[in-house]
Amino acid sequence: MKNPFELFGLEPNFLLNVQELSQKLRSMLQAVHPDRFASASDQEQLAAMQKTTQINDAYGILKSPVRRAQALLQLKTGIDGTGEVTVKEPMFLMQQLELREELESLANKKDMNGLMDFAEQVESMENKQIASINKFFDQNELETDKILAEIHKLQFLRKTLIDIEVAEEKILG
Amino acid sequence: MALLQIAEPGQSTKPHEHKYAAGIDLGTTNSLIATVRSGVAETLADLEGNHLLPSIVHYAKDGTISVGYSAKIFQCSDAENTISSVKRLMGRGLADVQAIKEFTANQLTASGIGMPAIQIFDEIKNPVEISSEILKVLAERAEKALGVPDGDKLGGVVITVPAYFDDAQRQATKDAAQLAGLNVLRLLNEPTAAAVAYGLDTGNEGIHAIYDLGGGTFDISVLRLEKGVYEVLATGGDSALGGDDFDRAIAGLLVAKANVDAEDRQAYQMAMLKAREVKEALTDSDIIDVHFMNWDGQVNRSDIDELMAPIIDKTLLACRRTIKDAGLKPAEIKEIVMVGGSTRVPLVQEKVGQYFKQEPLTSIDPDRVVAIGAAIQADILIGNKSNDQLLLLDVLPLSLGVETMGGLVEKIIPRNTPIPIARAQEFTTFKDGQTAMAIHVVQGERELVDDCRSLARFELRGIPPMVAGAARIKVTYQVDADGLLNVSALEASSGVQAEIQVKPSYGLTDSQVTEMLKSSIDKAEEDMQQRMLREEQVEASRVVEAVRAALEDNGQALLSEEEFEAIESSLKQLEIIAQGTDIEAIKAAIKVVDTNSQEFASRRMDASIAKALVGSEVDEI
Repeated sequence: MKNPFELFGLEPNFLLNVQELSQKLRSMLQAVHPDRFASASDQEQLAAMQKTTQINDAYGILKSPVRRAQALLQLKTGIDGTGEVTVKEPMFLMQQLELREELESLANKKDMNGLMDFAEQVESMENKQIASINKFFDQNELETDKILAEIHKLQFLRKTLIDIEVAEEKILG
Repeated sequence: MALLQIAEPGQSTKPHEHKYAAGIDLGTTNSLIATVRSGVAETLADLEGNHLLPSIVHYAKDGTISVGYSAKIFQCSDAENTISSVKRLMGRGLADVQAIKEFTANQLTASGIGMPAIQIFDEIKNPVEISSEILKVLAERAEKALGVPDGDKLGGVVITVPAYFDDAQRQATKDAAQLAGLNVLRLLNEPTAAAVAYGLDTGNEGIHAIYDLGGGTFDISVLRLEKGVYEVLATGGDSALGGDDFDRAIAGLLVAKANVDAEDRQAYQMAMLKAREVKEALTDSDIIDVHFMNWDGQVNRSDIDELMAPIIDKTLLACRRTIKDAGLKPAEIKEIVMVGGSTRVPLVQEKVGQYFKQEPLTSIDPDRVVAIGAAIQADILIGNKSNDQLLLLDVLPLSLGVETMGGLVEKIIPRNTPIPIARAQEFTTFKDGQTAMAIHVVQGERELVDDCRSLARFELRGIPPMVAGAARIKVTYQVDADGLLNVSALEASSGVQAEIQVKPSYGLTDSQVTEMLKSSIDKAEEDMQQRMLREEQVEASRVVEAVRAALEDNGQALLSEEEFEAIESSLKQLEIIAQGTDIEAIKAAIKVVDTNSQEFASRRMDASIAKALVGSEVDEI
């Protein structure tokens, strides 16, 4: 089976053009979506479903910076980055702690505006982290341990954003 | 005026090739059917000119079944044998629906299929059967209107379901269609159908939100329309919230004013009918005179607004969550489309307008818009419009998960993932020589199994006996374009396909559907064999036609001579066998064609993708 980059006819790079990606998604699905085969033979309906499933799956990987980085690492080095990773950098551990505390205190105070500002702050940290991962992928010799750690940091920020949403939902009832 | 359609030379579908397709909106309160005629999608009326068919079924003691307005007249006089709002029971458990007052405690019983059933005289009717009666009446209406020759049927239908329907509710809807003898081309989400109806009118690109408040369900969908592709970005809602809740709240007010016993079913039914009248009258007036039972008085719009506001606020909360899920802000929504009869309530329009900071769109009749969109999609799917670029990309409305230790849920596929989609999971055995295991699949967002909807329990059997932890069972969860789940399992080290037994928590197994179909045909005194043979022959000619068309299209390019010949000869064989009367032989011959053309189908998909990618690069220049 083709890797997600190949399937979308893209060079295996971390940075990608989101608009180009969704344009390619649309043209490919125009060709093979099950709706195009609703009156075709069962075999073609099945093949269309399987192909569309593959395309949707690949799109999900490419669209998510974390999953895209993991797929790219796997492709370039054969290392599976989806397992547990422990990062021991003191700076990061400190930041982790601070973000969790901030979230907990805003959630306890039921401070909706505070949570929204906090989400914006974490989002901008996320963007910086994505840029940092890109730098590591740009190097000729890939430092796999570094990349694994950087992906883990990105994952943590993503998780924090999800938890902020959960906290907001709880306040709204 | 409808414009005359002139096809490009060589592309016109010959009149006899035009296939009959229809779109069905199977609603909680009302149902509709629509078709495309001369390029225009329109809902179809009964002989009296009514487009809406009340979703009410009445069973008379002599076995007569009436549906719609003719059933509605029994709603008060023979309440026990008149069923309305059956959609609320589809794919649900008895405990889920006991709170709904439309069904009295003695009306709902257990059915043996998880879903609640209704006792009608000495018979038990399940929600799937009752819904199929509504579908039959609608299909008949379409067949008459389209002039489908006697003995012939609609080629296929698109049935709409609330976007927020879970797997069990979707499956129940599809089963009802099967029981009514309909070929379901696709289950389509109601908001998506509405978007199609609006999109084609306005040709509007950008991000749209569809606010769909029906009788018993609420849906909110956020879609992006670009170059004919409708991409659902997120969907949310509540499959047990709707205009009926307005009526119930108002009925409570009336019952209190008239000081009648709220447990009296007949009084309650009358209060519900009166409540609807009051709600509708207060759409245009600010104050009305009301006479109910022994009470005469006045009701203000502000009185009922106060009762309805908390219900509407619940819908806005769902809107907020869905827009967030789509990764958007309310200001990015270009248009907000109103669907469903309950959006006629002024307070709904006012509150939705305030939330989205814009005037909601209401130009298409909110009762008909869903059926119209479904008809347009049905016409495309059946192949009447071969070169149409319209494509709908939908998502999974609720996360799918499996039960793990301690009654916790492990998510397999998160909500709002584009469908079709599949995920695989690996399991291993716990004991030496273990040959079976059970998987409990649930749907919902909560962490505990008890807080999610139980979909089905799968029992895997036939795992080769090995030491504990040696077997590697790969379970694949596939969600198709209808949003329906299919589970398959493979023991990875031996390649043995594990046998799966599905026990739907709130639904019918395939064999139960077949059984119900058989018994309904027995009653109609139609020859079962004859009908099955005819259906198999139709299937055979469908297969031959489809595979021939594919061969003509690019068989030469994608197949070796031998491969081409193998498919062609199995087609010829099938054509000969289909002339005969041996049902099993026809089935076997179809299977041969299927097997022979499997690789060809897959190569055709790859070729299409390659072509599409080249095309998209050309677009960029």
